[in-house]
Amino acid sequence: MREWLSVFRRGLAVDNPLTVLMIGLCATLAVSTKVEGAFFMGMAVIFVLSMSSAIVSTLRSLIPEQVRIPVFIVIIASFVTIVDLTMKAFLPGVYTFLGVWIPLIVVNCVILGRAEAFAYHQPVRLALADGLGMSLGFSLVIVVLAAIRELFGSGEIVFLGIRLIAFPEWYPAPGILLLFPGAFIVFGFIIALAKWYNGRTSTRLVQTDAHCTIEEGGR
Amino acid sequence: MARRAASTPLNMIGAVLATCLVAATALTLTYEVTRERILEQERAAERSALQAVLPGAEQFEAADELLEPAAEAAGQVPVQAVYRGFDGSGAHAGWGVRVAPRGYGGPVTLVVGLDRDGSVLGVSIVTQNETPGLGTKILTVPGWIDQFVGWESTDIKGSAAGFDAIAGATRSSVAVRNGVTAASQVYTEVLAAESGEEEDGS
Repeated sequence: MREWLSVFRRGLAVDNPLTVLMIGLCATLAVSTKVEGAFFMGMAVIFVLSMSSAIVSTLRSLIPEQVRIPVFIVIIASFVTIVDLTMKAFLPGVYTFLGVWIPLIVVNCVILGRAEAFAYHQPVRLALADGLGMSLGFSLVIVVLAAIRELFGSGEIVFLGIRLIAFPEWYPAPGILLLFPGAFIVFGFIIALAKWYNGRTSTRLVQTDAHCTIEEGGR
Repeated sequence: MARRAASTPLNMIGAVLATCLVAATALTLTYEVTRERILEQERAAERSALQAVLPGAEQFEAADELLEPAAEAAGQVPVQAVYRGFDGSGAHAGWGVRVAPRGYGGPVTLVVGLDRDGSVLGVSIVTQNETPGLGTKILTVPGWIDQFVGWESTDIKGSAAGFDAIAGATRSSVAVRNGVTAASQVYTEVLAAESGEEEDGS
């Protein structure tokens, strides 16, 4: 259980896919203009990543090494299409906003990267911990990024048609936050924050690292 | 740790085939379950857009046979659909034309509602991909889109007279203008005759 938790926690902080590994940034910067979109993007990634990690790990002894990438892609693409169809059917508003970024989860480095680097070599329960941790870490960062950009860039946060928080009328919303430069600036601050946080807890980091090295060396 | 299946041709073909078969089955099931809902959502979105631009109409019917001449009449602007609108008593109330003029970030899809005499009753933007905060002002500036209401097919003729573009969103504004102009052209060249014929027939 301790092992499971330590793998799970890595995705949230010390190995966060966005602030530390810095993969899957393209979709992140593009959809983080609205909390609503970012939240459902995070949900989609949580579903796709934990399911594909679990399946890849379950089948790892049956997948020959030379065709592993095509098999991974088919597995990931299936889950992405399931998300795509479901969202189109039940959340048309969110689907219109996310648009092409939902099908593009197939080529999101976070998901293929975790299948290749972790799930293909680890038992199912750890692969699931990694998938959940990584995708939750992804969702956390993308929602925080979107909350900052939407709140300060447009003066209010609207979630599924409900206004959660709003600045008074006179607030001059700087539109740059909603454009790409704003995404990079805010994301830079988030990386700095994550670095500071991970540095502060570095003693724990060394322990988890040693722990996982033994685990990986055992195979 | 479990032994890995060897990369022999048979194993490789088997693994890929089996994965694809399972994936195809899963997707077929999902598709069957969601298909009705997706169609319903699309129809509802189309209907609410049409209802917004044709306030008097209750029933809509796609006039696919007019699509080809309409596309020719509109020139550069793609025409995606033409609808006949009927009011509560079943009388012909007007036309809905869906056009997709080019904006700053790709096509801006809008539905233009025209009454039987060709004057614009309403314009509604269905999809757009304009710059957030700038081009999207075509959606967010209150009342801006209503300036097109009342445009007659005769007094547009491609001129920009009386047209008020939003500062910082010129290309997006012009896209909407072009869409409305194209819809009016479609009316003049195709729908006007159709409206007349129906009147004679009824």
